[in-house]
Amino acid sequence: MEKLSYQDVNHHVIDRCKSGDNRAQYELYKLYSKAMFNVSMRITNDYAEAEDVLQEAFVSAFKNLHSYKAEASFGSWLKKIVVNAAINAIRKRRSELVPMDERVVGEVADEVCEDDSEWQVAKVRRAIQQLPDGYRVVLSLYLLEGYDHAEIGEVLGITESTSKSQYSRAKKKLLEIMKEPQFVV
Amino acid sequence: MEDKLKKFADEHRDEFDVFEPRTELWQNICEELPQKRNTAKVISIKFGDSASFSANSMFMRIAAAIVLLVGCGLTLFLMKSNAPEAGNTIAATTAPPVNNIAPELAEVEAYYVSQIEEKKSKLSEYDLKVLGLDDQQEIDQELARLDSSYIQLKKQLYTTPNTDEIVGALIQNLQIRIRVLNRQLEVLQRLEQINEQPDLEPQRDETTNV
Repeated sequence: MEKLSYQDVNHHVIDRCKSGDNRAQYELYKLYSKAMFNVSMRITNDYAEAEDVLQEAFVSAFKNLHSYKAEASFGSWLKKIVVNAAINAIRKRRSELVPMDERVVGEVADEVCEDDSEWQVAKVRRAIQQLPDGYRVVLSLYLLEGYDHAEIGEVLGITESTSKSQYSRAKKKLLEIMKEPQFVV
Repeated sequence: MEDKLKKFADEHRDEFDVFEPRTELWQNICEELPQKRNTAKVISIKFGDSASFSANSMFMRIAAAIVLLVGCGLTLFLMKSNAPEAGNTIAATTAPPVNNIAPELAEVEAYYVSQIEEKKSKLSEYDLKVLGLDDQQEIDQELARLDSSYIQLKKQLYTTPNTDEIVGALIQNLQIRIRVLNRQLEVLQRLEQINEQPDLEPQRDETTNV
């Protein structure tokens, strides 16, 4: 079968961006800035840092737009840039996202009871913000950015199974946070 | 084992995106992007092989200026010649829809925006680092948050029948911003006084959390 290249809905705008059209660049920015900012916010957990990352990512995306080959949607291409920039940003403040002693692939037994009756988006979101960096990044990438464990492993430089066990730990911690009596939305 | 959390996140994916960057961020991005102003643009228009037209940007600029001048002159002339009719049609066609829904809002908005700008420029005169205060970020964040919800509210204005309530909320939003800025200004003024009299114990705990 003939392989069709992915035709992004925005390919007209993207073409105009490639020629340096400032208005087209703004259109793309408008379209993606909010979603990308939230990606960045979840990884960095800091408003100012998330803005720096967003700026860096968009500048880099516009400068390297010629390397976007329409194999995937523009959104997921851009998201990759944002995720990488955000991870680099938090690496700068902490050397290892997933500490060595947590890389042991252990059974995370005792699945905590997932009582989803009292979950609300705001509550879950707040609890995610309270997780330590390593947990938060793995959990956000898996839950909200649609990364699988192999991709998370690749982007964080850990193995797939480490990512899996890290996710289980993060989830357990998250559910604990939400159960704390002093935790209010 | 079924991952209920993942299922929950998938079902509510969009609701997790609650933050918005400040509107100024686009300006910062633009400054870092290479501008392609230096190359002379040549515009060419072709109608088959029979007729073609090309011009560089200088020529086009002059041409555009002439067209604009002639257009303005013509409009003025037409407006003067039959003022009442022309005036009415223009107002009816170009008035933004917000004027139909909440005519008072535009005026109020303009007033508050000018106030906010004034306070912001006053604030920027202070050197925050010198005064030992670097939580300007928090203020910016607060203002950005207010800005996001303002945009949201304004969108709702077009879809909800109860405009009074939304207009009220919009005005309140603007007033909160002014209060935030006023508070920050007060704090800065007080800090400045304290810095001028170094013997006094600085009262740093009265910071700006609003």
